[in-house]
Amino acid sequence: MNRKAKWGIFGLIALGALVLLAVLPGGAKQEFSVAEEFTLRPIINLPSLAGIDVSVNKAVVYLWVTTAVLVVLAIVVSRTITKHPGRFQYTIEVLYELARDGIVGGVMKSGKATWFPYIGAVFFFVLASNLIGLLPLPLGEHWQPAYYAATANLYVTLTLALFTFVFTHYAGIRKNGFRYFVNWAPPSAPPVLKQLIWVIHLVSEIFRLVSLSVRLFANMLAGHAILGVFFAMALIFQNYLVALMLQGGSVLIYLFEVFVAVIQAFIFAILSAVYIGGALDQEH
Amino acid sequence: MDASAAKLLGAGIAMGVGALGPGLGLGMMIGKALESIARQPEVAGDIRTNMFIGIGVTEAVALYAFVVALILIFVA
Repeated sequence: MNRKAKWGIFGLIALGALVLLAVLPGGAKQEFSVAEEFTLRPIINLPSLAGIDVSVNKAVVYLWVTTAVLVVLAIVVSRTITKHPGRFQYTIEVLYELARDGIVGGVMKSGKATWFPYIGAVFFFVLASNLIGLLPLPLGEHWQPAYYAATANLYVTLTLALFTFVFTHYAGIRKNGFRYFVNWAPPSAPPVLKQLIWVIHLVSEIFRLVSLSVRLFANMLAGHAILGVFFAMALIFQNYLVALMLQGGSVLIYLFEVFVAVIQAFIFAILSAVYIGGALDQEH
Repeated sequence: MDASAAKLLGAGIAMGVGALGPGLGLGMMIGKALESIARQPEVAGDIRTNMFIGIGVTEAVALYAFVVALILIFVA
């Protein structure tokens, strides 16, 4: 049998398998709602404190897991540090160098040593939180493994952005004193325009808070929503062929999400560094 | 057209139109960055860092549209 015939038979078998997959009746049809994946139900009920609900929910558990992973990682790395790094130590060193030389060293002029601990901590926290969000933890509605990320929650990202916001103005006031607020408008501008520029700058300072938090939140939310929809398509279409194709697609989306997780952590840290660096070394 | 249909239509339009501008902007920016890297490969690192900052800032606009679409579907 020659080669062409072999390939012909192989192609026929593959085509037959695809047709069989397409006509095979799928499982039971199920409803799927993307919003359900992101609703926070209390896992441990606690009495509310001064009108604030302090029950432990999914996002809190994810934050705990992130913190635990980071603390254990830091302890292990600092205990096992050697002059000839292995694979594990080398990875951590690359990330540390990225935070120190790439992010802080690249965009800040002064105060590098003062602000590296904060920027580095934010970078590692967001990175770990984003990557842990890509592991299914058994915290779903019926304790089934489900995707969620602490950073896919607006309150978490808003808190992180608030840290950057407060530290930006703290750094600016500590270095430049009262001049910090005066310097928001260029001193050489004509009188009325100067006040207008100052107000515009004030609005942009507030808007930084929104953009910094919503960027991270929406990126992680969108990624997890797309992953959820891809996984759930099999239930909705009730077809093995569609399910097979979409599972293949979801692998690609997943790889892209890993990239997005790293990039978003990088962008959050570098924008924090840009804001703090801008408050320290004002242009005017 | 009832209210729920209008909500879904609004969400779709918000996402679609909202992705237009950032898409164009991202394409232009990354294209320019690649051009300048090709012209001066020795400063590729700096350009890449600044490009990622720009990507983050531009992409946020599309994500505002995404959040508006979500609010239209699930909250409004």
